[in-house]
Amino acid sequence: MKVIKAISGALLFVERAVVVLLLGAMVAFAFLQVILRNVFATGLLWVDPFLRHLVLWIGFLGASIATQQEKHINIDLVTRFLSPRATNVARVFTNLFAGSICALLSNAGWTFVASERSTGGSLFTIGNMEFASWWFQIIIPVGFGLMSLRFLIRTAEHIIEAFNPTPTVQHTTNVPTLDD
Amino acid sequence: MKIIVIGILLVALAFLGAPLFSIIGAIALAAFYSAGIDTSAIIVELYRLASAPTLIAIPLFTFAGYILAESKTPKRLVALSQALFGWIPGGLAVVALVSCAVFTAFTGASGVTIIALGGLLYPILIQERYEEKFSLGLLTTSGSLGLLFPPSLPLILYSMVASNSRVAGGSVPDVTIDKLFVAGILPGVLLVIMLSVFSIRHGLRARVPRIPFEWNTIRAAVTDAAWEIPLPFLIIGGIYGGLFTATEAAAVTAFYALIVEVFVYRDLKLFSDIPRIMKESMILVGAIIVILGCAMGLTNYLIDEEVPMKLFQTIQELISSKAVFLILLNIFLLIVGMMMDIFSAIIVVVPLIIPIATAYGISPLHLGIIFLTNLEIGYLTPPVGLNLFISSFRFEKPISEVVRATLPFIGILLIALALITYVPEMSLWLVELSGTR
Repeated sequence: MKVIKAISGALLFVERAVVVLLLGAMVAFAFLQVILRNVFATGLLWVDPFLRHLVLWIGFLGASIATQQEKHINIDLVTRFLSPRATNVARVFTNLFAGSICALLSNAGWTFVASERSTGGSLFTIGNMEFASWWFQIIIPVGFGLMSLRFLIRTAEHIIEAFNPTPTVQHTTNVPTLDD
Repeated sequence: MKIIVIGILLVALAFLGAPLFSIIGAIALAAFYSAGIDTSAIIVELYRLASAPTLIAIPLFTFAGYILAESKTPKRLVALSQALFGWIPGGLAVVALVSCAVFTAFTGASGVTIIALGGLLYPILIQERYEEKFSLGLLTTSGSLGLLFPPSLPLILYSMVASNSRVAGGSVPDVTIDKLFVAGILPGVLLVIMLSVFSIRHGLRARVPRIPFEWNTIRAAVTDAAWEIPLPFLIIGGIYGGLFTATEAAAVTAFYALIVEVFVYRDLKLFSDIPRIMKESMILVGAIIVILGCAMGLTNYLIDEEVPMKLFQTIQELISSKAVFLILLNIFLLIVGMMMDIFSAIIVVVPLIIPIATAYGISPLHLGIIFLTNLEIGYLTPPVGLNLFISSFRFEKPISEVVRATLPFIGILLIALALITYVPEMSLWLVELSGTR
């Protein structure tokens, strides 16, 4: 369990750092592009496709963090009325299910990236440097893979908690808070 | 038989709280398997997200909204509206409505309005001798008010999802963000005005004390919020005046909000608060993106199989008049809005309903406004509307009390909904007038 916690923590640290870096870049480049377009009537060709792929990266990493914190969007009708133990049992099943679906989607993603890689298209070029499409697409299988791993960790945690009277896993509800 | 078992299983998992994207992904996987198509086709569809020009607006506006929510903007916003509207009888209630609407437009009705602004306004309302029941209902209702105003995230999402679907006849509906942003303004104003009239009437009856109108207070409040007041005008004016597109408005808003809150007001610290806010806001963005991505795969499959058209044929046999269809549409959407959060409701329901509604002669723009108004009311609909729970949690009142307090407000919103539904000009007139791109 300790090993799992350590892995999960390290993952979170990396994901957070990358999200912050990419979002910072996105805010800066998107604004720069508006200035270039409206003030100087020009623009960088590569910025738009680059930014759109950044959204995919940020989206998948954000979704992975959402998995770790159980903040995915769901219809939380039944568990609002369940006991903590029953909720735990329900979470075992839902996390296991989501984890398997993510694994299948990750697998489909690998197939997609492999075929894109063999076709060898490039997304944009800066100077002489060509940026291959698959470098940016790789986040799809990686993202689903990360989520799959996270869902399985969550499943394990809920199994342990279902047998354990003292709560070890923090429950996150759908009620938003400003300071968590 | 097999399909029925899988269907029941998925519905059960959904109601037990499985992430919606995994349910949609599972349906897509099953559909492609059974059709004998390699599942990487789902990823091909998902990847089309990266060619949607408006996609960047989602993270940028969400980030901007979170920045404003976490800074002292709510305080300044309340102070400003109090100075402007406090002198009206029932003015404080109007203050609550206006400031919540503006705030929700920026933060996207995730319940954060009740937490942030409701917490500020409730004690003031009670102190000014507004009835407890009235205040509770007012703030619960205000929590989703403002969804129709730019740059609300649900408007952006509706435009994206609609542009990925087909109208009756097979063409792509013309629902750009810029048009939708303009279409929502009059209906949004109608909601605020109707609720304001009700509040003023309550204020007169309850004889709440009025705050005297003072230029000095206004001047102070305006000076305080001087850097934030331009924001809505920048967005609406910029798009309306053809200065820039909604996506460019998102870039400007995010950059401006970051600079103003960190370097001008110094409400947030660049190296501690901002990374935390970035992470929090991108959790929401990630949750939306994966649902959107999985739904893209499924939607295209459904369109290929002509599912919306088959649905339409069935419905047409039962309902012949547009007026009856609209009533049933409203009832259906109220139930959807009560059970699902607004983002997944848009992503899942819009592609199915657009071809049907357009076949009845409803404009996709008008449909969007009807859709979002319904979902806004769905937040308050007992027994399981989300705002009821958030309000009960925030103000520490039992759900039953919140429900009773909110009922009169729901009544008013339903009247407004009828107007919005049966007077399409309210949504479409400004769009035609402005000739927005």
